[in-house]
Amino acid sequence: MRPELDPVSVTDLATRGPLPPPARWRGGGALSAWVDQHFKWLMVAPAVLLILALSIYPLLFSLWVNFVNYDFEIPGHDFVGLQNFRQIVNDPLAWSSLITTIFLSLAVVAIEFLLGLGLALAMVRMFRGRGIILSILIIPLFISPVIVGQSWALFLQRPFGPADYLLSQLLGHPVNISWVGEVPWVYIAIVIADVWQWTPFMFVVLLAGLAAIPAHLYEAAELDGISGLRVLFYVTLPQLAPIIFLAVTFRLLDAVKLFDVIFMLTGGGPGTATYTTSFYLYQIGFQQFHLSTATAGSWLFLILLSVVIMVLVRRLLRAENA
Amino acid sequence: MAARSATAGPSRWRRRGDLARFAIIGLFILFVIVPLYWVVITSIKPSNDYLTVPPVWFPAEPTIVHYTAALFSYRGLQGLVNSLIIASVSTVLSAILGTMMAYSLARFNTGGQHLAFWVLSQRFLPPVAIILPIFLLFRSWGLYDTRIGLIIAYTFMTLPISVWMMYAYFRQLPRSLEEAALVDGLSRWQTMWMVAVPLAAPGIAAASVFVFIAVWTEFFFALVLTSRHAFTLPTVFRAFLGFQGAQYGEACALATTSLVPSIILGMLVQRHLVRGLTLGALRG
Amino acid sequence: MANVKISGLHKSFGGVQAVRGVDLDIPDREFTVLVGPSGCGKSTLLRSIAGLEDVEQGTIEIGGQVVNGMRPRDRDVAMVFQDYALYPHMTVFGNISLSLRARGTPKPEIEARVNRAAEMLGIRALLARYPRQLSGGQRQRVAIGRAIVRNPRVFLFDEPLSNLDAQLRDEMRGEIKRLHQEIATTMIYVTHDQIEAMTLADRIVLLREGKIEQQGAPLDLFERPASLFVAGFLGSPKMNFLQGKLVRSGGAYAIDLGEEVPKLALPPGRAFNGATDGAKVILGLRPEHVGRAAGAQPAPGSQRLETTIELVQPTGSRSYASFRLAGQPVLSELQAHDVSGPGERITIDLNLPRATVFDPETGRAL
Repeated sequence: MRPELDPVSVTDLATRGPLPPPARWRGGGALSAWVDQHFKWLMVAPAVLLILALSIYPLLFSLWVNFVNYDFEIPGHDFVGLQNFRQIVNDPLAWSSLITTIFLSLAVVAIEFLLGLGLALAMVRMFRGRGIILSILIIPLFISPVIVGQSWALFLQRPFGPADYLLSQLLGHPVNISWVGEVPWVYIAIVIADVWQWTPFMFVVLLAGLAAIPAHLYEAAELDGISGLRVLFYVTLPQLAPIIFLAVTFRLLDAVKLFDVIFMLTGGGPGTATYTTSFYLYQIGFQQFHLSTATAGSWLFLILLSVVIMVLVRRLLRAENA
Repeated sequence: MAARSATAGPSRWRRRGDLARFAIIGLFILFVIVPLYWVVITSIKPSNDYLTVPPVWFPAEPTIVHYTAALFSYRGLQGLVNSLIIASVSTVLSAILGTMMAYSLARFNTGGQHLAFWVLSQRFLPPVAIILPIFLLFRSWGLYDTRIGLIIAYTFMTLPISVWMMYAYFRQLPRSLEEAALVDGLSRWQTMWMVAVPLAAPGIAAASVFVFIAVWTEFFFALVLTSRHAFTLPTVFRAFLGFQGAQYGEACALATTSLVPSIILGMLVQRHLVRGLTLGALRG
Repeated sequence: MANVKISGLHKSFGGVQAVRGVDLDIPDREFTVLVGPSGCGKSTLLRSIAGLEDVEQGTIEIGGQVVNGMRPRDRDVAMVFQDYALYPHMTVFGNISLSLRARGTPKPEIEARVNRAAEMLGIRALLARYPRQLSGGQRQRVAIGRAIVRNPRVFLFDEPLSNLDAQLRDEMRGEIKRLHQEIATTMIYVTHDQIEAMTLADRIVLLREGKIEQQGAPLDLFERPASLFVAGFLGSPKMNFLQGKLVRSGGAYAIDLGEEVPKLALPPGRAFNGATDGAKVILGLRPEHVGRAAGAQPAPGSQRLETTIELVQPTGSRSYASFRLAGQPVLSELQAHDVSGPGERITIDLNLPRATVFDPETGRAL
């Protein structure tokens, strides 16, 4: 007998069998069996119902609204055919919003990617204090975008904000940029704010991707005599490509929704220069209360986005199942 | 994370490389910290320190008067309380519904690719596409400007995050534990809650933190679906639009109040960050 | 306590048939071992009885009750898993008592039962510990404790000893056997180890590729194997198989291995299923029935011959010597010090009454 187990003799066991079986199930029965049988569907049901209620149902409802006159100012819901769509399509502001959105999205994603990649490359090697630095660098990700917009509005304030002052010190001559009041500075301001918040996203994802590249690829490259920047282009980036794809599409789909920062930083201004599609539709729907028009615009926007969404989600699923 | 250099090279490159690296990192750290510092410091500056050139980097007489003003005169406190309640309840609901669905997907592959695809794609739905009909529907259902309404909306909004983060954790659990529980006499419901969920608890906790942060920082839904009663902290910032100068302190006080829990929570789930950001597609 | 009856069971995974038409009758209180090489369907069969797998065709009855489609919890069976499957987030007490807690058993009863089970298995001192703090043997006992605390109708064991080292395995084998004597419940035990099968079973069911190859008491299968597969699977070292022809002269049969060797006369009275004269057969003879000649004359039915040893493998208690018979290798079992080494001339007695003759085409015994 091993020492850690109690010594038990055979005669002991013979006189002490186990107790008779415990009482029958309490709460078993037909309902329990039915639940077990349909378990997997019952478990997804609440979530699915919620999504149906707040996604499919509203979308279908809005599909109807598209073709109807749903305006708080005009009574009745007359069928108006494609009029709502025509109104959007004929509105030059709708187009300029779309262009602004595309332009800004591409700009921020590109800059975030480059900065994020640079930062990731810089951080991939271990050094003392790396953990703390990492913690600091990811802070912007957890902040409300409205706060980011407002903070940058404050920082870029003219004439008492620190930004102009710092630039003056740096450049040696007085700088008096109206960041929020002048095109093209206002675009730069928006880009700065978004880049400030979301570069860490790119950085963190790319860093994870870099860390996953097997060391022997670099060793092979070193043996082959490839060094410096060529390693970056011939080894690192190709390995990173799927992650880059993931990160860029992810970020792009979020960037086109740009609203919070616009709202707080520029209010769409100066004039309507920084209207993004989301902001434009918000104005039409909730400031002017032309609900059908706004809905029609949202549908068009959604259709445009769907293609990119489908591609990305399929990719994500494949990655998850791999 | 592994430590490796992405650009190999002889040692003199290494030294130059090091300089470049630390320069980049240093610049970025500054980039991150300076605006934040400015916001926090402005929140404790007395008002006449606002409009100065050169700007005041540290006030001689710090004050908390802006905090009290922000919380009470600008109804920041109500926004704060609403945000806390709404975020907490949404997190719990999202976690429960998300756990149930994630378990079903992970163990039974329910609905195959199609269901998974559908749930995942909700994450990318632009709010603007559904906000108008939801606004109208909420009004007719009596949910406009109610905490419950926002909770429902946020639970919906954060389901993809919950489901996808927890899905990965459930997949990793060995099946034999659940089989043992089934033979032991537990129903599937009991097995899920008494065996699978406790073992996936770290993942569930991490997912919940992400959900909380997402709700805590959300603006658009709150802007449209609330008015005077159920408004959340982010919407209070509307009152400071226009920056007539008098309210810098209050705005920054409120910002700081919102920042602190966000950042603390964010630090807690650092380890799961990549997984949370990419909905589980990458492990990080 | 209950008997288990399986009729016409079929089960496949994807395109692969794991169980093809199994009929099995296990009487109450019997210790049945399902044994066979990996992939033979034994685990699938066990899991089907537990209710962890659905069956496509056939019925499973426990205690006369058809349990197809019943959930595992309703079948009142207990299972001990190969990796113990202990809940890491619960103490030993929690692990053992989970089934009772889940069905709302009152606390004093839970305490009594768990303590009783723990005492039976000698793990009372471990009740407050967590699985990660236990050794392999202790964990196995907890897994068994979890099973016995419910006093189920049937115990199922899925290769419970495979993860233990050899010494611990021997010890636990004895414990399980004693457990069966102690609580006298139907036990169905799956293993790929034929020694476990031989020592534990009241009845062995040998499976191969989803079908029952042979079933019966261990010694039955050992001494009267129904096929080459059974003969080769049970017994270590393996049975010797010699290829030859069955010849008949008068009323007596003999095995002809070729010119160099005299014919081996088989005992009279055996029919060999009417095999034709000159048919190709395989003669099976276990090493323990091939030994050094003893006595002036060979025992009745045995045949004596001389040969040269090629190789000697001592195992401590015995030594196994290999030689050739008509060019075919034969292993014989000798006393430890009874042989000097390769090249030694030796006289061997072949205990032919214990031999089995097989048809090489079908593999069945004749």
